Amino acid sequence: MATELQLIKKIQALKQIKPRKEWVFLAKTQILGENEGEKTRFSSILSIFRPFILQRYQLVLATFLFFGILVSGAFSFAQTSLPGDLLYPLKRVAESGRAILASDEEKPQVQLELANKRLEELTKIAEANQTKKLASAINEFQASVSQAAKDLKNPPKITKEIVAQTKKLEENKKKVESLGVVVGDVEELDNTLKTLVGREIKDLENKTLTEEQGKTLEEAKEFFEAGNYSQSLEKILNLSYPQDK
Amino acid sequence: MGNLKKEFSQIYDKYINKIYRFIFLKVNSQETAEDLASETFLRCWQAFQKRQSERNETIKKIENPPAFLYQIARNLVIDFYREKGRFQVISAEDCQINDPNQDLEGKSLRESDLETIKGALSCLKEDYQTVIIWRYLDELSVPEIAKIMDKSEENTRVMLHRALKALKSELNREVS
Repeated sequence: MATELQLIKKIQALKQIKPRKEWVFLAKTQILGENEGEKTRFSSILSIFRPFILQRYQLVLATFLFFGILVSGAFSFAQTSLPGDLLYPLKRVAESGRAILASDEEKPQVQLELANKRLEELTKIAEANQTKKLASAINEFQASVSQAAKDLKNPPKITKEIVAQTKKLEENKKKVESLGVVVGDVEELDNTLKTLVGREIKDLENKTLTEEQGKTLEEAKEFFEAGNYSQSLEKILNLSYPQDK
Repeated sequence: MGNLKKEFSQIYDKYINKIYRFIFLKVNSQETAEDLASETFLRCWQAFQKRQSERNETIKKIENPPAFLYQIARNLVIDFYREKGRFQVISAEDCQINDPNQDLEGKSLRESDLETIKGALSCLKEDYQTVIIWRYLDELSVPEIAKIMDKSEENTRVMLHRALKALKSELNREVS
């Protein structure tokens, strides 16, 4: 039979029972952090469960974060993908979102940027000789250029970004064609630009211009007649919207 | 408010382990022990704010925070069993040692002796459990226990003696 002393020692072994450290911290924060004012009975009842509830929220939050990181990681990876790649649709989804959210004023510029991206992808594909991906990349480019042409039909204002993207598009097109890739006609875009530039030239002709401005207009006309619409646009931009210089 | 928080924070740090253990040994559930211990400190903090603030100087200040905490904890445990209809009349037949595999906290108690003593303690009546925990685990003096329990020191000594005797016989019953 155990003596009283042995029994007390056994009882004292129960000192090993300790609460979880994270709970101790959490409960303290909850009690001291959120109960400064006079508490209602309802809120004090809630606070009994607060540490428990918080743990549940932490789990949900962690799950959301995990999937958030996973999805954003996939989207980041997708940015370098090319037509025909597994993650390419994700890249297009992100781009579509950007195009949809853009204001009417920004839309032509965004679409031109996207058309340029398609050309850059085409260049990469051609340089890597990934011939299987060429067809879908060209289709992507055509679709993108077509959308850009539609958005350019009534731009609220010609901006330096639109001009820059148009110029870049011509350069990129030349670059990819120099690699032996036939990207097809961009007639729709050319026609839109032709209409746009023609309209701007007509407007300027009816305005009183200085001698220097007259010279710039003449240069714009020359580029226009030569079918070099982006160069012509650049000249027009200087005349019509000098604040955008 | 800053000083008040600091003061209460020290009380919390000093007694959280004891209050948690006191409750855990009675409810034998980590989750319930955490809930009830949170509520104990929350109620104490509310009373602390009320009584210690300058505006309420007429109200008696909390002179003995651990005694106050133990009182709240004890009442919460009693309410817990009462409200849930879980109050058990302990008989020798009903009493079983807790299965360590069914209880997370139990897993940390590696020696079987610990499980045995925990099981035996949980079979005692509430007064006996309380007096044993306070005296031998939390190391309160007999006068302190007497004051919290609102009993004379002599009565407390007698209760402590009987509680130990009951625990011993419970352990012997389990061994045999």
